[in-house]
Amino acid sequence: MKIVVDQVKCQNHGLCAISAPANFALDTDGKLQYHESFNEENIDDIEDAVDSCPLQAITLSRDAA
Amino acid sequence: MTVDGPVVGVVGTGIAGLQSANAVLERNPDARIVIFGDETHRTYNRPGLTKKRYQLLTSGTTITDELKVDGAASDSATWRLGTRVESADLYNKVLQLRTGETFDYDSLVIATGVRPRISAEDARECAIHMHKTLRDLDDAHHIHRDLRTGTELTIVGSGFVACELASLATEYGCAVAMLEARRRGPFERVLGERIATALGRWMTRNGVTFLTGDSARDRLCNGDSSAHSEPSSDRSLLVEAIGSVPNVEWLHGNGLDLSDGVRVDEHMRVPECADVYAAGDVARYPDPWTAESLTRREFWKNAIDTGDLAGRSLASSLGCGSKISHIRYFPLMSTEVFGLRIQIAGNPKAATSMEVVRGDLDRLDHGVVVTFSKEDLLVGVAYLDKGARLNSIYIDLVKTLKAHRR
Repeated sequence: MKIVVDQVKCQNHGLCAISAPANFALDTDGKLQYHESFNEENIDDIEDAVDSCPLQAITLSRDAA
Repeated sequence: MTVDGPVVGVVGTGIAGLQSANAVLERNPDARIVIFGDETHRTYNRPGLTKKRYQLLTSGTTITDELKVDGAASDSATWRLGTRVESADLYNKVLQLRTGETFDYDSLVIATGVRPRISAEDARECAIHMHKTLRDLDDAHHIHRDLRTGTELTIVGSGFVACELASLATEYGCAVAMLEARRRGPFERVLGERIATALGRWMTRNGVTFLTGDSARDRLCNGDSSAHSEPSSDRSLLVEAIGSVPNVEWLHGNGLDLSDGVRVDEHMRVPECADVYAAGDVARYPDPWTAESLTRREFWKNAIDTGDLAGRSLASSLGCGSKISHIRYFPLMSTEVFGLRIQIAGNPKAATSMEVVRGDLDRLDHGVVVTFSKEDLLVGVAYLDKGARLNSIYIDLVKTLKAHRR
């Protein structure tokens, strides 16, 4: 599984960075940076990030990374 | 007709209704779920209605496509769109539909949300303005279409919808006036007077005619002009964004506490009625944050979390799924107004004091972090910035907040 962020939808609100700080962060310009792959132990945080996004821009893809 | 599994009625097609349906189906695939909604659209991303400008609205469909929500396309539930539920007999477990039909259920989820408050029922049309509110996708279609023509826009109110709409309208090239007759500025009820005043200045700096107090009252439209002349075709747009009203009228007569939405317990159960649950904007639940008080919240994540919990509790009552859990919603919200990102965590409303821990309220765009405390305990944080320079400070404070929560 990997994290996919729709960059057209993303407005850099950063709620994902609070829900799942291990995988999402805002850089100094306020733009989202994230890792596509993640550790299985963070899955709850990442699902929380997916739900939190006010633009619903984050999805989890089951395709092998 | 043979009925295989329990029949679950969900009233409301918003994210709370969808989330509860999905949570039930995940645990009880035999459940027969029927989702009723006034709107003709399946679940869409409601925050997206005001958060961005949509380029291609010629056919009126693009915005709908852009706001699709994962899981809403699934046909494992039956969707009764454009079908209003008129009333409910919660003791005999029957819904009365506007079509004249009745619907018998075993379990029910109330997810009817809220509608915009309007200043006067009869002030809907006048000669000068097109009066609108912005809550659903059809409203958004109308408003975005008007904004694209560069119409003059008057917004009554200065909450989240009002501020996002002002920002959006300016992007579309419209002249915007905001009228806030009761407060000093945006989000005053949540963030207090000092920040509200600073945000009012931010609106002005970005070209909005931001009026408060008497000067706002003088420009409010009460719709009287309709008595004197015929509405002309080139009226400017007036959007009322002055809060919302829970949609509970259809539940009258069942002895529920409907004083501000539908009161539920920490599992989203309606205490007066077995097998009835409520979720989303309409649900008033025990605040996990402030002991012994009830809260009702109108945010996307709240609707997701309470919808999911209502569905899990319902499935559990049918003997499916594991132990039921309590509401754990952590309040976290974010908006962007003229490039200024405003993030709020926790419950600043409960605070008795605030402190600007970084930055200067006269220079919001340089980044400001504010903490809110009650009796020395941190209860909320707000972060306003163009960019994310102070993001790490904010995230650290949010972590502290989360840790304080039991």
